[in-house]
Amino acid sequence: MGKVSRRQFLSRAALALGATPILLATACQAPPAAPPPAATKAPEAPAATKAPEKPTVAATAPAPAAQPTAAPAQIKGTSLAILEGTYFVAAGQDLFKKMAQDWGQQNGVTVSTDFLNWPDLQPKIGAAVQAGGIDIVELWPGWCFLYRDQLVDLTDFANGVAQKGGGFAQFVLNSSLDNGKYYALPIGNSGTSMNYRISWFKEAGADIPDPAVQAKEGKWPDWTWDQFFAFGKKLKAQGRPIGQALGHSTGDPQSFAYPYMWSNGAMETEKDGKTIAFNKPEFVDAMKKFIQAWKDCYDETGTSWDDNNNNRAFMSQQICATLNGSSIYIASKKSAPDVAADMNHTLMPKGPSGRFYQFSTRTLGILKKSKNIEGAKEFLKWFADDKQYGEWFRIQEGYQVANTQKWATDPVWTKDPKISVYTQNPKYGRDQGYAGQIGEKSSLAWSKYIVVDTFAKATQSGDAKAAIEWGAEELKRIYGG
Amino acid sequence: MSRSGPPHAAASLPAVRPRAGFLQRVQQQLDRESTLGPLLMLPGALLLVVFLAYPFFLGIWLSMTDTTLGRPGNFVGLQNFANLMTDSIFQQTARNTFIYSTVTVPFKLLLGLALAVVLNNQMPFRNFIRAGVLMPWIVPTALSSLGWFMIFDPVFSPFSWLLKSWGLITKNINFLGDPNLAITSIMVANIWRGTPFFAVAILAALQTVPAELLEAAAIDGAGAWQRFRNVTLPAIMGIVLITTLLSIIWTFADFQLVYVLTKGGPANMTHIFGTYAYNVGLWATAIGQGAAIALTMFPILAILAILLLRYLRTEV
Repeated sequence: MGKVSRRQFLSRAALALGATPILLATACQAPPAAPPPAATKAPEAPAATKAPEKPTVAATAPAPAAQPTAAPAQIKGTSLAILEGTYFVAAGQDLFKKMAQDWGQQNGVTVSTDFLNWPDLQPKIGAAVQAGGIDIVELWPGWCFLYRDQLVDLTDFANGVAQKGGGFAQFVLNSSLDNGKYYALPIGNSGTSMNYRISWFKEAGADIPDPAVQAKEGKWPDWTWDQFFAFGKKLKAQGRPIGQALGHSTGDPQSFAYPYMWSNGAMETEKDGKTIAFNKPEFVDAMKKFIQAWKDCYDETGTSWDDNNNNRAFMSQQICATLNGSSIYIASKKSAPDVAADMNHTLMPKGPSGRFYQFSTRTLGILKKSKNIEGAKEFLKWFADDKQYGEWFRIQEGYQVANTQKWATDPVWTKDPKISVYTQNPKYGRDQGYAGQIGEKSSLAWSKYIVVDTFAKATQSGDAKAAIEWGAEELKRIYGG
Repeated sequence: MSRSGPPHAAASLPAVRPRAGFLQRVQQQLDRESTLGPLLMLPGALLLVVFLAYPFFLGIWLSMTDTTLGRPGNFVGLQNFANLMTDSIFQQTARNTFIYSTVTVPFKLLLGLALAVVLNNQMPFRNFIRAGVLMPWIVPTALSSLGWFMIFDPVFSPFSWLLKSWGLITKNINFLGDPNLAITSIMVANIWRGTPFFAVAILAALQTVPAELLEAAAIDGAGAWQRFRNVTLPAIMGIVLITTLLSIIWTFADFQLVYVLTKGGPANMTHIFGTYAYNVGLWATAIGQGAAIALTMFPILAILAILLLRYLRTEV
């Protein structure tokens, strides 16, 4: 299609529509009343081809993490706005906020930190990408690819962090490296594991060794989906169903649906990123099992659960198991000690094609629209320092798997054996869009809940084949296969 | 302190005269209605241009591009709209929006009318009750939606708890997870929120119905229903029509209630245009496609708006 500028379009549209004199005057004579957002400058060269306005510290030299007092004087008197999603481990959020304030006071920078409800994070980042106003943003899986043109290249800085930490963890290399570049600093992976009630599963016939033994030997209950459903059936009959969200929320539904799909031989696309590999006979069979399991094992109200419901249901002893981060355990230790004492975490059940997790890599990026790129870099350098990062990583007690190798053997993983299994997530991890490349299309599929809704449709209609065919058709529309 | 002019003040006097002439001409211009009218309208027109016309035309432009947030797009013509015609989620969304609007508006109208008739009678604490009735309309929707969110909670709903404690049900009601129940639950919340608007508007209209007419009808032997049907209803019909049209427009373009309660789930069974456009445009960052979804509402809303304006014009 030929390119038509916005102003030409506005002028012609106004004329063609015989708009009011005011509109005509505006469109034909006056410049737009407000500066147009960058994204509307369609005819201009893509921003990707433009170099950053000025060389950055990170771009000029591999930058080892700085000491708190190392920030340059020129950032004094500036301000810095940081946007993150709400932490499920409240202590982690409080600590990050305090750290940012402390750093600001030490360096004369006014720092503001905002923590948004997860579903509101992406739209707010989108607005900031268009209009500015935020310097550092927390990016979820795929977003650093989505916004790469609008993010400051942090490759040298990130490589410096990796070098200091004995190299990035494999999940970082698999999920954040974009053609050899880092457009955001990887800070961790918010892991998922199967939270379960020890005594209830033992009653249902599960063989569950002592948590300390599991952690020491690295042998956690290694269930298949079939075995897991069998335990679930017995437990639901006792009024203790499994809890799983299948609604339109941003965390738990995807954390289950993608791994179940992968473990049963299906994927969104083949490696070419176009050929849809979703409608596989083995996945249809697995979906039939899931439909039955949904009735027999699960709390069927899960189709409307959000990311909080399973936490509350587990802590109030209404469900026997649920996929979640370590946040349920951490909260239970404080407010439901009986539950904490009787719960543990284990690996995601496996299917005929193996065991998989969806990567939940978190990165911190600096927007090119930021008016304080230097200050943002200085903050990230300071935050990435072992002292700050270590404190932030440890206080979350397993909710985040750390970004570099050196933290894999950190005492936090052995201090409490019940969180040890979270170290295992990344090695089974895959990204959205697998086996293709994560990016705009996989993000569109994720945001439209195509995979999650395939499961929801299947449980509603009881027709596995039709639900998967619907999902495959929707994926085809997105990936163009 | 005395004000003494500079030494060359006298010499500069002739230069002042044209200025005075200019001001006089401005004053003369302002005395003309044809000049003053548009001038007074200018601030309002500028506001309309900045906050309505510019975003509107920008939206049209975006809907014809493949723009994503953070990346400029190319002109793709009507491709985004063509894609929507074969998009099963969009079709489901259109169905949902149609059902959502056509079911809730009549309920709101009838309940609002009944409420207004009741509130128009003498009763103790009448003013207090009238103010209370307006509460669902006054409370910010995001806040009242959170209240409904708690009522419809799949695990901790007070309704489910109550019915279970009475032995009427054995498991929690899946208010927002069952496809049929989900859209029904949202419609109930919408009716709760929208009824007071009808009630208050119609109540105001009822108070303008001349008491003499009603008395005359009563003397002629008309019963309560006949008086309402033949005297009251014609007198308030204008307000009823306006509120109905406005309500259709607002319900059609709703967003907050659905976003807070279900975000379009389960399996898109509660998506309406606003939430689907938000989902695609801002969550998935495909702002061009999102704008196209939002703009599909425009022709229907435009027709309703034209009908409303034409009615207002004929009435005024």
